[in-house]
Formats: sequence, C-alpha cells, structure tokens
Amino acid sequence: MAVIEVRNLTKVYGRQTACREICLSVEEGQIFGLLGPNGAGKSTLVKMLVGLVYPTAGESRVAGHPPQDIKGRHQVGFLPENFRLHGWLQGEELLIFHARLAGRDGRGARQRAAEVLDLVGLAGEGGKLVANYSKGMQQRLGLAAALVGDPQVVFLDEPTSALDPLGRRQVREILLALKEAGKTVFLNSHLLSEVEKVCDRVAFINRGTVVAGGRLADLQAGPAAVSIRLGGLSEELAADLRGRYPDLQLDGDRLVLAPGDREEIAALVARLVDGGCRIYEVAPGHNSLEDIFVHLVREGEQACG
Amino acid sequence: MWLIALFSFQESWRKKVALIAGALTLAFLILYGTGLHFIARDAVNTANPAATATSYYAMIQSIQLFVMGIYLASFLVAGLAILAAVGSIAAEIDNGTLYTLAVRPLSRRDLLLGKFLGLAAMLVIYAALFFLALTGLVYWQTNLLIPGLVPALGLFILEPLVLLAVTMLGTTRLTTVSNGVLAFALYAMAMVGGMMEQIGAMMDNTATIYTGVVTSLLLPADAVYRRLVATVVDRLPAGNGQDIPQFLSPQSVLGPFGSQSTPSDWMLFYTMIYIVVLLAAAVYSFKHRDI
Repeated sequence: MAVIEVRNLTKVYGRQTACREICLSVEEGQIFGLLGPNGAGKSTLVKMLVGLVYPTAGESRVAGHPPQDIKGRHQVGFLPENFRLHGWLQGEELLIFHARLAGRDGRGARQRAAEVLDLVGLAGEGGKLVANYSKGMQQRLGLAAALVGDPQVVFLDEPTSALDPLGRRQVREILLALKEAGKTVFLNSHLLSEVEKVCDRVAFINRGTVVAGGRLADLQAGPAAVSIRLGGLSEELAADLRGRYPDLQLDGDRLVLAPGDREEIAALVARLVDGGCRIYEVAPGHNSLEDIFVHLVREGEQACG
Repeated sequence: MWLIALFSFQESWRKKVALIAGALTLAFLILYGTGLHFIARDAVNTANPAATATSYYAMIQSIQLFVMGIYLASFLVAGLAILAAVGSIAAEIDNGTLYTLAVRPLSRRDLLLGKFLGLAAMLVIYAALFFLALTGLVYWQTNLLIPGLVPALGLFILEPLVLLAVTMLGTTRLTTVSNGVLAFALYAMAMVGGMMEQIGAMMDNTATIYTGVVTSLLLPADAVYRRLVATVVDRLPAGNGQDIPQFLSPQSVLGPFGSQSTPSDWMLFYTMIYIVVLLAAAVYSFKHRDI
C-alpha cells in the first residue's frame, strides 16, 4: 500500500520552478531515498509533503491525508535540513514538549522522551540545555524530536550531515530498526553512499524534475563500465569501437567502455585479441549510485508517467 | 494553542526577557521615585507652603508627576511589546526553529494565537506590576491615591496588547528588522499624532484634532493612553472645592501630555475590534504563507 503518493506536484517561486510535475509513490515499510545535487528541489518537495510549503499545482497524500490536514500529522515525523532547536530548553524538556504537541499526556510524554533519548544515544544528556549541545548532539536530538510522536512516516532531510562516521552508522541502524518496525522512511540526501546502504527504492531529482527512480537493486543491475588495460590498439580498431560504444574513453593504455552484458565483454576481448591487441587486465566496473545518477541525468530520462 | 501559549510564556522567562525588562524597570522606578521625591517636596512647598496633598495645587502637581511617569512607562511597555514579538514568526523561520513546531498536529492559527497569548500574558503581568509600582510611588510621595485605579490599570494593560497585535501581523510577512522599524515608526506616528490632537484641542483647531484622530485609527495606542489620562484626571474633584479658572484646570496644565480631546467609548470599542481584526489578519497571513 502506498503511504506517500505524489501526483504532478509543482512549486514555482516567481520565475523559478523549484519542483516540476513530480510524481512519486512510496510503499509502506520502505526506506525511500530522494537523491540529487544541492538546489535540485529535494527540500522543497519534502516541505510540501509535510505541509510547510504550499504547492503551486498537483497534489499529495501522506498516510492517507493531504499534508495540510492536522489529523494526518499525527502520523508524520520530520527532521528538517537547516533546523535549530530551542536552546533555552533542556533536551528532555524539548522532547516532552514535542510529545505533548503530538498528543501524549504528561506521563506518556516523559516516558516517550526517555525512550527516544536512549534510541539516539543521548541517554543521560537530557538534562543539559540544548544550547550547550554539540552540533552532532543537536542533530541526534532533532532526530529524536522527529520520532517522539511515534509516527508511521518519517521524513529526514540530510539526517547525517553533522554526524561523524560513528553517528552516521548509528543513524543507519535507527533507520533499519524503523523499517523493521514497519515504519516508512523518506530519506532526503545528497550523500549517495549513505543512501546506498539503507534504501529500498530511490528517485533521482535534478533541477526540480525526477529524472529516474526505482528499486535500488534494479538500478544497480544494469550494465556497468569495463576497464581494459591493453597494448597494440590500432587506429582503425579504435575508430570501429568508438562507432559501437559512443561513451568509450581511451586514456593511455586504458580503455573504458560500457558493454551490454557479460557475453558482450567476452566477445569484445576476443575481438581485441583478433585485432592484434595484447590484453593485460580486464576490470569489471561497479554501478554505484553516483554512476547511475550521472548517467541518468545525462540521458534526461523522465520517471514520471 | 495553550501548550504553545505556555511555551511562549516560559520562553520569555527563560530567555530572561522579563528579567532584563524587570531590572530596567526597577532602575527606572528608582530614578523616577528619587526625582518624584524631590520634585514633589519642593514643588508642593513652593506652590503652597501650607499645603498638603489634599490642596488643589498639590493635587495638580501630583497628577502631573503621575502622568509624566505613565507617559514614560508607556514607552517602556510598548518597547517590550514590540521587541518580544518582532521576530516571533519571521526570526523562527529564519533560524529554523519553527519547522519542527509547524509540522506538529496543531493548526497555524493555534500556533500563532498561542504565541500571542503567551506573550500577552507576560506583558499583562509586566504592565500591571509596573503600573501598580508607579501609582504606589506616587501615593507614597504625594499622598495622592490615583482615582479610577482599576479602569486606568485596564487601559495601561491594553496599550501593549495593541502593539503586540500589530507586531504579530508584521512578523508573519516581514523580516524581523523591517517589522521592528515599522512597529516603532507606527508607534512614534501615533504618539506625535496624539500630541498634535491635544494641541489642536487647546487651540480649538479642528484640522489638527482630526490629524490625531486619523493616526489613532491607524494605531490606537496613543488613544488608549489619552483615555487612561482622562480616566484618572477627570475623576479629580473640580478645583478641589476652589474656584479655578479654566487654564488652570488639570487637563490644561497637563498640556500635550493631557487629554483635552478625550477618545470616546467608540474609540475604545474600535481598539478592541482593531486587536481582533489584526490577529485575524495575522492568522490568515501566516496560514497562507510558505515556511
């Protein structure tokens, strides 16, 4: 069941289009990654989905409710990108306040605040003023505030940006635990390697438009580039290969190209040997998210149906 | 809404806004009380060496000192009202603290009105304590028990609420600095307009009076102050049993700080409606903006 549905969502600021006819669907219990470079429109899209920004056109539903619907917000948690917490409160007080706003009574709020402090690794730090927290601690506290209402859907905008490697790992573990508990996580990040480790599905957004999307495993299953170190490549053979593989790169004795599948790699090597080349090394490439992103942006594919 | 109101009220305490305002107010009261002590002693004795505060001259001098204190106190309370609310939405959007609140299951109306109520509670307590301290000082030094104390207190409390409503509307759309400049400029305009109105009344110049009325319609803060002065001064016994010429009447003696052109009950009603309408506009504006 789709817990986040986005249809033709568009946001225009004056002459600038931040998001253009975005369509997305996120299933319940998934970790969904929204990827894109800075200024691509990721944060604007998330802000529309949590009801902070009004769309110019299109519609969306989160947990069955439009983002502006107060009822739906009981199901939503949000960690903004450039946020600050109220520094005059103690960490625990802040979480109790947010839990109260989320509908819990005094005792329930205190109990839940203690749980999420423990979850994000801040147990024992709740009595400190938020203003005295380090940046990483504030990031964790922000995550705790997003989770304090026990939401079904959690939007996290660059949740690991201020964290050290250990903190990042801890956040990844929290995300996987949320997934285990059946929650849906919408992760907004430009750190592709982070997303690669936890997301089930991703969408790539660039200049306000979704350029590709799908299951991470499917996207990574496509043909990867092959790097071949060789000698004796004739001009004639090189020209022939360029005709077949437009993306071919020849750098010294290293040839990089993207054949269709494994059999084609074998056929290519045989052809090179037949053409008088000496093969020293054949190294299969890896389809990282970055490779896919660069590739798809170039192709300008539209995932929106 | 009540949770946000309590939160805003606590914020003003925890951020020491009220403490700093209280310390400054205490300093003001000490200075005012010291001045009051010497002025009251010398002025009363000079005017009528045998007088007590029950004599007319002593009464007039006492009321002048009281009105002077109220006029200055109004500035301080107005300043606190504007500074407390000037960035309550705009600054929280700029620094990102509003994001986490605005996504909670509460409407933007409740968020804005909660902030208004929290700040209003702080201002009401502050203004009431300030007013009572001031009237207490006047009574202590001059033996003048301010007449119409309760309605005057109500009016003194109303003035910062008018400015709070204006500033809350401004903060939904303007930057913190722009909103502060606008609010202080409106307040200054209202005060100048109010003085012109009183001078116009003394000179019987209708056009000048109307100028003051128009500025009061734009921001009825000065009108509330004038009504407060009238509430107190008009309750004083006329001439205190003596035959006094008009130019020595309490209102005449107070000059541009008095209330010879007294705002009507309709102006008070307008002030109430003004606050409600501005808050409704603030809610509408906040509800329809991107955060």
